[in-house]
Amino acid sequence: MLIMKRTHGMLATAVAAASMLTIAACAPSAPTANSTTSGGGATLNIATQADIVNYNPMVGNSRTDDWVNDLMYPRLLTINSDGVKSPQLATKWGYTDPTHGYYDIVTGMKWSDGVPLTAKDVAYTFNATKKDKPAGTLIGQMSNFESATAVSATKIEITLSKPDSTVIPEVGFWANIVPEHIFAKVGNVGTFANNKGWVSAGPYRLVSAVRGQSYTMDLVKPYPLVPGGVPGPKQVVFKVYPDVNSEILALRQGAVDIIAEALPPTQVKVLQNTSGITVEKIPGLGYDHLVYNMARKPLDQLAVRKALSETVDYQTILNSVLLGQATPTNGNPIMPALKAFYEPLTPYKYDPADAKKILLAAGYKEDSSGNFPKLTFNLIYSLQNAVQSEWVGIIQKEAAKAGITIKLQGLQRNSWLADANNGDFDIYVGNFAVMDDPTTNMSLTYLLGGIINYSHVNDPKLSALIEQASQTTDVSKQTSLVQQAARMVHDNVYDNVMYTQNLYIAHRSLWSGFVVEPSELLSIVNPVSLASAKESAK
Amino acid sequence: MKYGLFIVRRIARGIFTIWFAITLTFLLLRLLPSDPASAVGGERLTVQAREILLSQFGLDQPLIVQYEKYLWQLLHGNLGISFAQGTSVTDALMSRLPWTLLLTGTALAVTLVIGVPLGVLAASRIGGVTDGVIQMIGVVGQSTFIPSIGIFLLYMFGLVFNWFPIGGAQTEGVYGWAWYLSVLQHLVLPATSLVILQLGPYLLMMRASMIDALGEDYCTLAHANGLPYKRILWKHALRNALLPTTTLTGLQLGALVGGAVLTETVFAYPGVGRAVFEAVTQLDYPMLQGAFVLLAAAVVAANMITDIVYEFLDPRVATV
Repeated sequence: MLIMKRTHGMLATAVAAASMLTIAACAPSAPTANSTTSGGGATLNIATQADIVNYNPMVGNSRTDDWVNDLMYPRLLTINSDGVKSPQLATKWGYTDPTHGYYDIVTGMKWSDGVPLTAKDVAYTFNATKKDKPAGTLIGQMSNFESATAVSATKIEITLSKPDSTVIPEVGFWANIVPEHIFAKVGNVGTFANNKGWVSAGPYRLVSAVRGQSYTMDLVKPYPLVPGGVPGPKQVVFKVYPDVNSEILALRQGAVDIIAEALPPTQVKVLQNTSGITVEKIPGLGYDHLVYNMARKPLDQLAVRKALSETVDYQTILNSVLLGQATPTNGNPIMPALKAFYEPLTPYKYDPADAKKILLAAGYKEDSSGNFPKLTFNLIYSLQNAVQSEWVGIIQKEAAKAGITIKLQGLQRNSWLADANNGDFDIYVGNFAVMDDPTTNMSLTYLLGGIINYSHVNDPKLSALIEQASQTTDVSKQTSLVQQAARMVHDNVYDNVMYTQNLYIAHRSLWSGFVVEPSELLSIVNPVSLASAKESAK
Repeated sequence: MKYGLFIVRRIARGIFTIWFAITLTFLLLRLLPSDPASAVGGERLTVQAREILLSQFGLDQPLIVQYEKYLWQLLHGNLGISFAQGTSVTDALMSRLPWTLLLTGTALAVTLVIGVPLGVLAASRIGGVTDGVIQMIGVVGQSTFIPSIGIFLLYMFGLVFNWFPIGGAQTEGVYGWAWYLSVLQHLVLPATSLVILQLGPYLLMMRASMIDALGEDYCTLAHANGLPYKRILWKHALRNALLPTTTLTGLQLGALVGGAVLTETVFAYPGVGRAVFEAVTQLDYPMLQGAFVLLAAAVVAANMITDIVYEFLDPRVATV
């Protein structure tokens, strides 16, 4: 008995000692004074739902990666509130002839280690991406890019393999410029983790990353892209809250100052009515859509696609599920936020009775219960998308009124993505977050072999319009061509683009000075916005 | 010698269990109808970039070759490189393991400290109001959905009363004792959630075992011999009644880790459970495989410890 007591005592002591040692090992030591972060501002705490997945901006694909990397590796261009590409690192850009373009960049930018940021960094970023093909959005925009050359400290010339008017604006927007003196040492940029010793061009530099918890960034100066050249907040800390409800509670408690992700529709009004919280409206650059797989019969028939489009109760979806926080797009793949390109199109009507007439006229036979036995479709959607998961039931119910059977198939996101890529679906529900350039987006979405041509459109007339648009550098001609293409997509129901969701970002009211840019990617967490933020007296 | 052989057999069985878990996880992941390259590269991944990624990940090789390489790596203590992060899986998991150990260890200890005496109390007052209330606590705890109780606790004790922080495991920028205090403050709510979830089985099991033990002849005899009821209860009946609870502790460890996944998500607690959840969404095979090796090893080790403790409580076990 005594031996057993002693053994239990030893075991308990061992467990307690092990626990103490484990936790003691985690205890941080106080930092030494840091002279690079001198500045008078406060700390701006930003809630995000996900950790940084990859610190290499050439590879990063998650939203948190983008937000953090944007604060260190500048884009040449950004998008202003009118949906127009506007200067960031670049001051001027354009084409000198159909296969040559250029960027002029600002002077006075430096990396945080003191090395000047020059045109050589820009040329290196482009050429390394082309050579190593890191997984990311940028490489998809570079199919006609051939090479980049720094012809002076501030000018980069681009050579294309064939005329392509989308390369300069799109590559300018999607590329984060990286420091050549760091990245060139690593060999293949596609496999570089870049997970320590960060060097930044500002406005902030990552100084501490604690996975699952927080990412601390200190200010970098000079930062010539804001007046005065010094960012407002002294520090920006991204705190990870995987659950949106915890994120909102943290904002209300004051543990964070901004929630980086757009609010769920049900929380917008609640937070608008919460004292001390301000909700900013952000124009959407993306859309939610229904894709009919035209590689499968009978979805290759216009009558069937048209009938399907008429069974969608657009208004109920917008009012009941999105609580009015979306703009109908009426089958138009050009987003209303892109004011230079947008032209309203006639909305698809919601009329299941008329849909039935269309199908009868096309020769489909009803059974005794009023259903069309040959019109049974499986519809795939991502279970991770709460809004779409809610409205797919409405799609199914309304289609049944027209005698069309829809079988819902909710999938885990990766399975849904794999099915979409493999064309293993009849109807696909999805969304694209940033459709910033109609010509590029249509090339990807509606040209044969396009990476996201999920509907398997293969229309020579449409392809010709898109190819002409991508080859002309005349903006008014390009606008006219993409508008004609959009009309073809609409009239042929190649892609039922339903709505663009208006995004709402919440922050504590004691912070102001944010610069709103469209899309969740930019919103108020874009570099210039955060560097311009000011905290009023508490 | 008898105890030595007993421990060697338990260790051999543990190693076989871990190998089986490793192999099963390896195969199951590769049966998933998804594509890790798309998960990393996103929707706009080009065909060429996808092929490069698959080659980088080693997924373009035959399954048996992948398996051989994986086992060889494991034998050298290497859990591989994360697909998504491009960094060492061992480093990523080791930075999170202490938090999960702290959370689950605290929750388990508190559960035992509360659950065992309450079970004894319920058994000693069988059929009474106290028994009814304790049983109700057990059943309600078992039926609770972690995210709901988590949000409730955060709302009440984080937002309304402002007693505890919302999310995280520590306060940034504090050091020394203030840091330990911040760790404790951050631990209270997630640990409470896990205790509420875990309390039911321990409490109800302890109650049932105690009722059985108190009905045994040796307790009746002790009572007839005039031993005080408290002594019979705490000294004689409890020791035998603890055996099923000890077994339950080993069995419940898996569930505790499972509960930690949700708890860590709701409370933004940076443990291994959340890393597993993230790895699932990113189809990060090396990270998932590494996490399952770690969890399988932890559960096997905990069960071995349970077996050994059990053996001390009941020496007959070592002869089995």
